[in-house]
Amino acid sequence: MESKIDAGGVRGRDGGAPCWAGALVAPVFLALAVWFLLGPDGIDLPAEEPSAIDPALLATTPRREILGDPPVILIDGFQRTCMECHRLFQPREDGTSLQLMQHRHIKLDHGINDRCRNCHHVEDRDRLVLHDGTVIGYSDVVTLCSKCHGPTFRDWQRGAHGRTNGYWDASRGEVRRLGCTECHDPHTPRVPALDPMRPLPGPRAPRMGPSHGGRLEATRARTGTLTGRTRTPTGASDDH
Amino acid sequence: MTTESGGASPSVTRRSFLRGTLGAASGLAAFAAALSPLKDLDTEDYTLEKFLQKHYKEMTPAEMDEVLARIRSEVEQRHGLRPDIRDVKPKDGVEFVYALHLGRCIGCRKCVHACVEENNQSRSPEIQYIRVLEMPRGSVDIERGNHHYDRPTVPDEDHYYMPIQCHQCANPPCVKVCPVEATWQEPDGITVIDYDWCIGCRYCEAACPYWARRFNFTEPKYARDREGNVIMNPNMSYLSNRPRKQGVMEKCHFCLHRTREGRMPACLEVCPVGARKFGNILDPESEVSQILRTKHVFVLKQEVGTLPRFFYYFDEDYPRSEKISEILPSSEPGGAR
Repeated sequence: MESKIDAGGVRGRDGGAPCWAGALVAPVFLALAVWFLLGPDGIDLPAEEPSAIDPALLATTPRREILGDPPVILIDGFQRTCMECHRLFQPREDGTSLQLMQHRHIKLDHGINDRCRNCHHVEDRDRLVLHDGTVIGYSDVVTLCSKCHGPTFRDWQRGAHGRTNGYWDASRGEVRRLGCTECHDPHTPRVPALDPMRPLPGPRAPRMGPSHGGRLEATRARTGTLTGRTRTPTGASDDH
Repeated sequence: MTTESGGASPSVTRRSFLRGTLGAASGLAAFAAALSPLKDLDTEDYTLEKFLQKHYKEMTPAEMDEVLARIRSEVEQRHGLRPDIRDVKPKDGVEFVYALHLGRCIGCRKCVHACVEENNQSRSPEIQYIRVLEMPRGSVDIERGNHHYDRPTVPDEDHYYMPIQCHQCANPPCVKVCPVEATWQEPDGITVIDYDWCIGCRYCEAACPYWARRFNFTEPKYARDREGNVIMNPNMSYLSNRPRKQGVMEKCHFCLHRTREGRMPACLEVCPVGARKFGNILDPESEVSQILRTKHVFVLKQEVGTLPRFFYYFDEDYPRSEKISEILPSSEPGGAR
């Protein structure tokens, strides 16, 4: 800038080329000044209204709610233990499932383990039984599962299989290892491809170039539909 | 200016005087216009106190308390929420490691959003620390991964899912390139950023081979609930999830305000399938130590020598058939174990 003024003021006395440069630059500066003052305010990023995910979709609760020990279930509004009914009904000799009122929802699909009494104690329905006849409580169900699922139990013990919530440092809080039945239904233990669920929305950042799936406008249109569909708390089926 | 100095000189003609004045005026106008955005600056952002604030490592506890008090009142003023902000220091004998079970991850992206909820990232423009790549089965070429997948349901049969976040490298390239030492590795292995020291040059973003650092191009915006209250996690610390400002870098810090107090990171707790594992690698009985000892483990881009503290693992491939007849014949060598 200074040099341009010099060009106009000092060297200009010779009437050489620099005066022309000064005369050209001045309008450019003025045009720039007008542009800076009146032009658009910065770059318009395609920012949308900030929205939050439904907190229910981010619940850290286990997949299943487990029974107590001894299990208490709600029947017609009354809390009952198993034995309140089962001391009246005798078990079937062949040990196959009896399609009674209370157990109709149970679908037994546990491979070759297709007898109730493999796991449930015959006389004491509030307890479970191991293959060798040892009676255990419902809270000790991991021991029962481990009798067949050795490698999985080994991985669970080491932490490679299953969930751990709460604290990693046992000296400062509860390290909550989730048991088998907090994810798997013991009667149909296979989680089908681990519950197909609707994924939460992907990043809304603009995608540049065709190799990343489209241009900016396409992204905006796409994420617009995404926003409408999954960011609202409609997805009861999203969670389990 | 030279035009004035030679008042009596015939060299100052009317023409050259006008030319010089016009040039000077237009130059000054352009200069003023270029500086005009300064008018819009929030003067509260540029106090002497902030200007003189020391680097995180040089602050005494008393100075840190002052800074924390200032941030507390700032957050309260701007967002109407009283944060519980503190400076959580690393613990001796702790080095954090993350392990992720690739065979379990279903790509539901719950971790991505639990992280945003926990760490107060900008919701618009969206900043997310975790990127879940949908990868074609049979390949670990992350160039073929897609993190924009949008399916009615996941997992997809032909793909597997690979979440990527900051790997907290033991040899971090991002720390080496920082010209102002605004980012460094802590004794427990977490690479942190002093948001008040960062100048926003984005060298670290370019240096990271895992695409893990995020830049605040604009002032972060937060979502509000129906009552109009800002949705923000009040459990904050200086080096992790306190609100950032425009022009600074941020990234995953293993939820250090939680993990340094013994808790699990937010992305781990929300994972519905238990794919994420976290713990202290210096404790031989910790989950991550045992996984690293007993599982097939790999790190991403091992060849670049960054020594990540983020490991991917998977199970032995045992038969997945339900039918016992299909399992039994193959059970002799390496079958059902």
